[in-house]
Amino acid sequence: MIQVTNTIKRFDGFAALDGVSLSVPAGSVYGLVGPNGAGKSTLIRCLTGIYRPDEGELSMDGQSVWENEALKARVAAIADDWYYFPQAGIRDMCKFYRGFYPGFSMERYEKLKEVFEIDEKRPLRRLSKGMQKQAAFWLALSAMPDYLILDEPVDGLDPVMRRQVWSLVLGDVAQRGTTVLVSSHNLRELEDVCDHVGILDHGKVLLERSLAQLQDNMVKLQVVFQDGGGVPGDLEVLHASRVGRIHTLIMRMSAEEAKNRLAVYEPMLVDAVPLTLEEIFIYELGGADYAVKDIVL
Amino acid sequence: MRSKTSYFNPTLFKKNLMRFWPLWGGASLVGALFPLYFLTVLIRERGLWQTEDPLGVTYGYYSVVAYVVPIISLLYAVLCALAVWGWLYNSKSVGMYHALPVTRKGLFVTDFLSGMAMMLIPYAVTGALCVAVSALVRGIDPAGLAVTVLCVLGESLFFFASATLIVFLTGNPFAFAAFYFLFHFFAAGAEWLICQLTTLFYFGVEQYYEGAAEFLSPVIFLGRKVGVNTTSERITTPEGWVESGKIQSVTLANGYLIAVYALVGLVLLAAAWALYRRRRSESAGDVVAVGWMKPVFRYGFALCAAVTGGILLYNLFFYTGSTETARPVPMALCMAAAGVLGYYIASMLLSKSLRVFRGSWKGALGTVLAAAVLCLAAAADPFGVETWVPEAGEIEEAGLDVGYGGHMYVNFTDKAAVEKLLDLHRTILSEEPLLNRRHGESLWTSDYTGSGYLELCYWVNGRRVSRSYRIPFSDGADRLETLKKAEILVTDPAVQEASIFGNLKYYNGEEIASARPIHGCVMEVYNTAAGAFENLDLTAEQAEAVEAALRRDIQAGRVGRTLFLPDEEREQLVYCGGLQLDYSVTIKPGERYPKGGTETRGVSLDLSAYCAETVKALEKAGVLDGTNRLLTQAERDAMTEHTDLGTSGGYYDGESYGYADTVYPGDAYVYPGEMVDAAALH
Repeated sequence: MIQVTNTIKRFDGFAALDGVSLSVPAGSVYGLVGPNGAGKSTLIRCLTGIYRPDEGELSMDGQSVWENEALKARVAAIADDWYYFPQAGIRDMCKFYRGFYPGFSMERYEKLKEVFEIDEKRPLRRLSKGMQKQAAFWLALSAMPDYLILDEPVDGLDPVMRRQVWSLVLGDVAQRGTTVLVSSHNLRELEDVCDHVGILDHGKVLLERSLAQLQDNMVKLQVVFQDGGGVPGDLEVLHASRVGRIHTLIMRMSAEEAKNRLAVYEPMLVDAVPLTLEEIFIYELGGADYAVKDIVL
Repeated sequence: MRSKTSYFNPTLFKKNLMRFWPLWGGASLVGALFPLYFLTVLIRERGLWQTEDPLGVTYGYYSVVAYVVPIISLLYAVLCALAVWGWLYNSKSVGMYHALPVTRKGLFVTDFLSGMAMMLIPYAVTGALCVAVSALVRGIDPAGLAVTVLCVLGESLFFFASATLIVFLTGNPFAFAAFYFLFHFFAAGAEWLICQLTTLFYFGVEQYYEGAAEFLSPVIFLGRKVGVNTTSERITTPEGWVESGKIQSVTLANGYLIAVYALVGLVLLAAAWALYRRRRSESAGDVVAVGWMKPVFRYGFALCAAVTGGILLYNLFFYTGSTETARPVPMALCMAAAGVLGYYIASMLLSKSLRVFRGSWKGALGTVLAAAVLCLAAAADPFGVETWVPEAGEIEEAGLDVGYGGHMYVNFTDKAAVEKLLDLHRTILSEEPLLNRRHGESLWTSDYTGSGYLELCYWVNGRRVSRSYRIPFSDGADRLETLKKAEILVTDPAVQEASIFGNLKYYNGEEIASARPIHGCVMEVYNTAAGAFENLDLTAEQAEAVEAALRRDIQAGRVGRTLFLPDEEREQLVYCGGLQLDYSVTIKPGERYPKGGTETRGVSLDLSAYCAETVKALEKAGVLDGTNRLLTQAERDAMTEHTDLGTSGGYYDGESYGYADTVYPGDAYVYPGEMVDAAALH
């Protein structure tokens, strides 16, 4: 389990993390979402021991992360800007990582060779961005980590490889109970793999729930009112848009409750449509002064 | 629960060495060339069957340790530090290294050891080859070898530790290189700047670099302090000459300093570790990576810019040559302007942006005020540097360096002469405005007559303090009081005795017991019959008589009178020829000459018409007569105009008349108290 408690990290007085608290259950895939500058990468750098938080505590399995060599041996991280030695190929990096990760499995590495069809001896700098990302996954998964921390992990990967990579990660979660923390802007991607989501904004966690809870808490309805009328003024909606006679309403409540509220106006049609994670993200942040009011869905 | 922490990671160590093998491999290759070169020289010139004195080989090792290794280590440490710590300067690599399952302590120790290995491998390769070559010629001195190895270790440790410390102060490789060299040369540079400021502000104060805090610039300090001492067998030849024989011992003078610096290296290493512990990973790319260092850098940079830039701007826009010292207000303006510029440059470097002007006016204003106050305060001379004249009682020795009509450098201790020197010094200070005005006036007029200088030196509490003044040429009614006082001083018998015969007091640092004239020569005597210039020899008796006459002239104050005369007048009085007297000197037994000895020493001087007794003695000796005449410079010039005689006349071949040792002006510096007639040497 990953536990982040009241963590503050400042850069020249600016608080990139402003009292972040979140908890990632063991064996879960936790999606960390948030707009640019929300503090996702900073939080990940704190969790991987790169940054030392100014205040607060970050722990895994109850152990503090900071300067904890044994704990970090169980954590593999793929940074958004993954670093490799300029002259090195994957094989060289493999040798390097083997010296640090006691659990590094050459057997796994050899098996993954079939998945990631990359010339091991070719210098990484000569590979495309997507292939470099694949190399990062190859090495991280070969390290057999208990914790996998991924910052924008599938950027640059083609759809087939994305599916492949997620399948490997989820396989580890299922078989080895790996705990995964992943930050991404690609909410559709997260929607398919995450079971928990935390929304970070301005260095604070706005909400943190399981995906099911999130989807239960917000509803998207397509409504047609009698006589083609507009949305009643006393109806509390997060967002309303209209195409012809069909109104699309987003409301912060369960589908059942929303339908009950609308029943008063005797609409001609009420249909609950599932909300995507992207929509949840946008409307949750919309409440936090995030200028998304005019976004047409 | 926290598991055990490892302080060394073999994978990282190996990776460091493997990644940067071209660096240490290349350095090893270059180092290996030297022993191989010596080997080929040995084979070519002597043959390997010849043996080499082990102490001679040790002498070579120590020379390298004293003069070469510090410079190489200083430069090579930069490259090694950048190789092993360069990852700190890139946020991507910082992220990778710090996310690895290794503590910062582990990274620090492993990277430091990797860097030290890179430092030492080339020395080890070079050293091993040197030892192999030495072994071939049976020239191995185990003790010397051990000292050499320890010294190389110590010097490498110090320089790499200092580089390691600087690595953590910054987040930028260019800033690292700049800070590293600043760290090693700041003390010397700061002293030089202070000297420049002092010289600019204070009349007569020509402050030269003395290396007051040179220990903070170790390369310079080690280069000056550490050396090689040898003692050799003394062989006395049948003629009584003492010659050096086989080397008996070789020691590394002040070698302990290397050990001291190695210990300092350990302290620097501890400081580096303390910095690394506090260092934020996000400082990669910053010019200054340590928070509290940022204002130090900003204002330190501004201060240095104020002083250097201020001096530069002042010389560019305000220096007219009319005054000896800088005018405080323009100088303050220049320093303030340069200081502000430095402040904003530092701010730009710190924030990595050109947009630093908004909101920083307070700092800029503070810099302006600080620079101006510093300048005006310095100009006010709160410590009385400019007006300082020592008390006669505290002067251990005094000296005078004159460059006017002629040149003279003399040291003396005679109390009356010292009083005259102090009187001259006070006179110069009182005439400062006049001297400056005259100098300025003459500088911009068509009849610029030029100027000379007077340098007054005092040894006070074992330290040499000097003041140097530019004295414009003047004569007649306008003759400066300074020149009158200077003439009184240089014609003082004690000063002239010291100036002319001071050379007979010491020989190679050993005291001379007695000196007897054995030969002499009157240079460039004009033979009216032959119409040519000749050098005429004096016998021992003649030389003795001339010396006695010269001493009488000195006592009468007739020698030195022409030194401050205007050119035209001097040319009428000074003979173009000079006098040389050679002495047989008896050296007292001492460290250098345990049995004493005899040597030859010479003195020489220009003769003038004032030296009546000397000229009379030369006439009495029959050297000068109706045929052989001394010509004044004016007479000679007049002759040259009417004949084809060159100044040398083509007859004087310039030979040195078999002097056993040549007298150089520098002698007087080497042996205080040994006085040289410098005028005669020029």
